[in-house]
Amino acid sequence: MIMDYAIETIGLTKIFSDWWGRAKVYAVDDLNLQIRSNEVFGLLGPNGSGKTTTIKMLLGLLHPTKGHALVLGGDATHPKISARVGFLPEESYLYRFLNARETLDFYGRLFGLDAKTREMRIEALLEMVGLKAVASRPIGTYSKGMARRIGLAQALINDPDLLILDEPTTGLDPIGTRQIKDLILKLSERGKTVLLCSHLLGDVEDVCHRIAILYGGKVQAQGQVKELLQQTNKRQIITDAVSDSTVHRIRQILSDAQAECEVTAPMEKLETFFIRTVVEAQQQAKPTSGAVSTTQIGDFLTVGSGRENILDKLVAPSVSDKTPAEPVRTETVQPRETVIPEANKDLLRKLTETSGSPRTERVSSPEGAAAQPVETTVEARQQEVKKRLLDQLTKDDTAKPPAQDGDSGHA
Amino acid sequence: MRRIWAVSTNTIRQALRMKVAAIFIVLLLVLLPVMGLSATGDGTLKGRLQTFVSYGLSLTSLLLSLLTIIASIHAITSDIEQRQIYTVVTKPIRRYQIILGKALGVIVLDIALLVLFGGIVYGVTSLMPRFLNASDEEVQAARNEFYTARASLVPPVLDVQKEVDELYARLVKNDQVDVIYPNMTREEVLKQLTNRKRLEKRAAAVGQTLVWEFRNVKPRDPNQSLFVRFKYDVSVTPPDEQVYGAWQVGDVRQLQPGAQQMQTPILPVTRKDTVRKFWELEAPASVVAKDGFLAVAFFNPPLNETTVLFPLEDGLEVLYKADTFTGNFVRGVLLILCRLVFLACLGAMAASFLSFPVAILFCLVIFVTGTTSGFILDSFGYMSENVSLVYTYTIQGIIQLLPRLDQYNPTTFLVPARLMTWGFLGQVVLVLVLLKTTLLLALALLIFSFRELAKVVV
Repeated sequence: MIMDYAIETIGLTKIFSDWWGRAKVYAVDDLNLQIRSNEVFGLLGPNGSGKTTTIKMLLGLLHPTKGHALVLGGDATHPKISARVGFLPEESYLYRFLNARETLDFYGRLFGLDAKTREMRIEALLEMVGLKAVASRPIGTYSKGMARRIGLAQALINDPDLLILDEPTTGLDPIGTRQIKDLILKLSERGKTVLLCSHLLGDVEDVCHRIAILYGGKVQAQGQVKELLQQTNKRQIITDAVSDSTVHRIRQILSDAQAECEVTAPMEKLETFFIRTVVEAQQQAKPTSGAVSTTQIGDFLTVGSGRENILDKLVAPSVSDKTPAEPVRTETVQPRETVIPEANKDLLRKLTETSGSPRTERVSSPEGAAAQPVETTVEARQQEVKKRLLDQLTKDDTAKPPAQDGDSGHA
Repeated sequence: MRRIWAVSTNTIRQALRMKVAAIFIVLLLVLLPVMGLSATGDGTLKGRLQTFVSYGLSLTSLLLSLLTIIASIHAITSDIEQRQIYTVVTKPIRRYQIILGKALGVIVLDIALLVLFGGIVYGVTSLMPRFLNASDEEVQAARNEFYTARASLVPPVLDVQKEVDELYARLVKNDQVDVIYPNMTREEVLKQLTNRKRLEKRAAAVGQTLVWEFRNVKPRDPNQSLFVRFKYDVSVTPPDEQVYGAWQVGDVRQLQPGAQQMQTPILPVTRKDTVRKFWELEAPASVVAKDGFLAVAFFNPPLNETTVLFPLEDGLEVLYKADTFTGNFVRGVLLILCRLVFLACLGAMAASFLSFPVAILFCLVIFVTGTTSGFILDSFGYMSENVSLVYTYTIQGIIQLLPRLDQYNPTTFLVPARLMTWGFLGQVVLVLVLLKTTLLLALALLIFSFRELAKVVV
């Protein structure tokens, strides 16, 4: 029964007492969480609501005053358990005197990975987080966002079954944020469990299956994101830019059904717009200030989910023609350690693709259902293929278009 | 082990890149050669060598000790304070492995630096004669009294208990105790009397002879010399501060009536030396009898007009070559390593529950107390006479845990070219490293394993 949950807390309580031992603050108060395997779980709450304290107790950095926490069915401080956990703390606490490559190598060695595996994973991760170009610079010289990226890479070096992310997107630019969100979804599709702790509601809404809202160390609300947010008394229909007369006819039908309807041109999300703008700038090879080369969400996504691909490709470079349309499915079928997917092909293709028509890709991906019809006008077979993938994300992204029948990837 | 080593290499990197170690390394690299040039001692080659070895090794030992304390504490506290420990401890590594890794890293760094600086000191000492164009005479003196490792024989401490008791009883009977030794406890008076009696046995009035007998003297090579190292003290200082001494070194049993004919030579020496300074009297090793017996006799000639004493601690010893300088030097460096290992673990222990500045302070206090522990022990021993019960069961135990760093000083062996035996080194390893260091390490592991590593943030 315990094994059903990736994380389970039973009456978890943390009281910070003063010097005399008198209880001062209930940081976490009788917390009972059950996070199922293969779930993206969001732990939300305002500052000081006990999110980070909970995570620290899960990982054994703090001792619970009462109750206990089970991670992957056991104690997270046991090497057998922690070997399967990836953790990104609320800030990237890294050794400033090491460079990115050495940092990852160090953490890889803590996992007892052999030199060959380490080398391959490090290269794949550096590419994924876009720090390859600056990998030999000491981390002390990194910007906050860059440090965040290497922190994320560090959490992924063991290909964890359970990923615990504390405020993963703080300090990241929108592109980086988007990448992390896509990565989370990808990992989820590969059967991983993700505990996401954040107060950035947009992020949580985009990726989480279930959430719990903490306040004062207690769970105030908990449940499926869809259920919590879905407006069951409304429907949304999104169409191509049809003519006024068509709109009129639709109104007619709706008024026959005694329903009100509102017709507007859908707005782009600012995130989408921003990403598109940056990508366009990169297309024109404008110099960028930072070393952050993060134009390619696709890269990140595919490489991220299939880091092992690069390893495998080096060994068996024949993974050519699986279509990128299906990466999700193929990957999820594979057992964890032996994913031999096509991601690298994917990556190459996307690199070329993106330069061809990055715009559509960007737009379609985060913007979701609203923008979709417009985008369909752009041809290119790969685009289609990609869109199918992105559509899935999109459903998660917005989490609300019931018109699409909501069979999102996380079911 | 792989994980411990990962932490170790990281610690070494940290020490080197965070410039903690760099400062000490640069200092030593600059200071050692400079000292090699500037150390003059008493102007002779031997004096220069002694000064250089003494300062060079002391400086190396001191700076590396400080470096060890700082590096081992910094390696752990900075991880906790800057919270890298969050990402380390959540990996499949046990907490004790982290502490072991940190301590090991510092120790490996120490070994590397000791090899480097020990090598420099050794190199400079070996090259100095050539470098200074020293005369053959000086080189010979240095070879005999510096580039060697001589075993040292000290006359046994005599048992004077009976005489002291008698003397004390007499004083008590005559009610003289308080007159001669006012305001002193019985123990203190007895102590003084004991010292007086012992010294009496090492004093030669004018016309008197003192004889010291040694057994089990085993020179490495009978063709080489042995040395009687002595220091005079006098009751009346002569105007030129010099006294005569008529010495005889050899198997004096042969002089007794009824003895067989002479088997080994007896060396007679008469010389005049400055008082309160160390002198060495050279004799061929062949004066030692086959069964290892050796006697040293001192006659106080009437020319002197003063009683001559040989101070209790260091008034007289016999030195003979028992090993090479190199062997002794290596053991000396290993002795420093023992101290560094201890300090590294001390630092780890302090850092396992204290913050950086407090841990540094704590370790420095222990370090300084350790290097002056003889003094501290004495003063506590003095106090103990008044509060002996309390003392015995409380402070004494703690003080016994202090490292006796002052006793583990290689220069006390290398400067007078005195043999440091493997036995002595083994004893240090046993007490300082195996016993005390293990204790510290166990304490560190225990504390670190159970403490909360995250800070309280609400």
